Amino acid sequence: MRLDILLSFVVVLIGIYGLTISKNIISSIISLNITQAAVVLLFLSVGAIEGGEAPILGGFTPSIVDPIPQALMITAIVIGASITAMSLMLTIKLFHYYGTLSWKEIIEREG
Amino acid sequence: MSIIIYLQILLIIISLVITFGKDNLNMVIFFSVFSLICASLYYFYRAPDLALAEAAIGSAIVPLIFIITISKQREFMVICNIEDDFINPKSKEGEGYKLLSDFTDYYNLKLVVRENKEDTIYGVFRVRNVDLSVKKKKDKYIFEGKSTSIIMNKLVQMTKECSKVDILLVEEEQMDD
Repeated sequence: MRLDILLSFVVVLIGIYGLTISKNIISSIISLNITQAAVVLLFLSVGAIEGGEAPILGGFTPSIVDPIPQALMITAIVIGASITAMSLMLTIKLFHYYGTLSWKEIIEREG
Repeated sequence: MSIIIYLQILLIIISLVITFGKDNLNMVIFFSVFSLICASLYYFYRAPDLALAEAAIGSAIVPLIFIITISKQREFMVICNIEDDFINPKSKEGEGYKLLSDFTDYYNLKLVVRENKEDTIYGVFRVRNVDLSVKKKKDKYIFEGKSTSIIMNKLVQMTKECSKVDILLVEEEQMDD
């Protein structure tokens, strides 16, 4: 077991834990962003090898890192940014409807 | 590999600070630092394209839209269609202005009053997302708000004693914003 894979998995777990304990909508969205960035880190650390070069053609490259996780994760970053923008827009609408940003108060008012 | 371990320990510390933080604005600033450290880690994992994307999106654009949200959520937008001393947005005086500022202080909002003149609001720059519009009919002042908003009930309660003011709750599509 490599240590860097373990440490990036710890960051994923911290993000999920923050999602469960957050009392505020904004802090929930920030925790979601932490989880997303840490998942990208986890995939990259699985694909990396000791002494590998960046997967760019040209010249003699004896060993390169795995390019498949990198090609997948560039999509995940863009999707994360757009999900953040949409959930923040919904947050503004929710605040103008309920007058508060706390999860507890919103659930109480729904009944 | 050792610099990657050090950066990841720093990343764990910063994510714990964000998770147990109280102030929203501080958390957004720390999230920007988190994304910057993530971008440098992507570079050390030999993924320079992801590092470029993360440095641009994660540490600049996403905190920017968070800060725009935090500043927008604190506003209560009022459109003023009358031209007497009941609401005077420039000197911040008048009976109606005092009523509205009491209401916004209760919900810890920031009161923004705009005068609706034809030559100041036009095109794409016209005011959107209006919470309340004030009109005058005979000698009564009509407060027009959205019926979907729950915080309007508090304003109905506060203006019960005031005989000058009528509250009109309309559907969202009928607001003239």
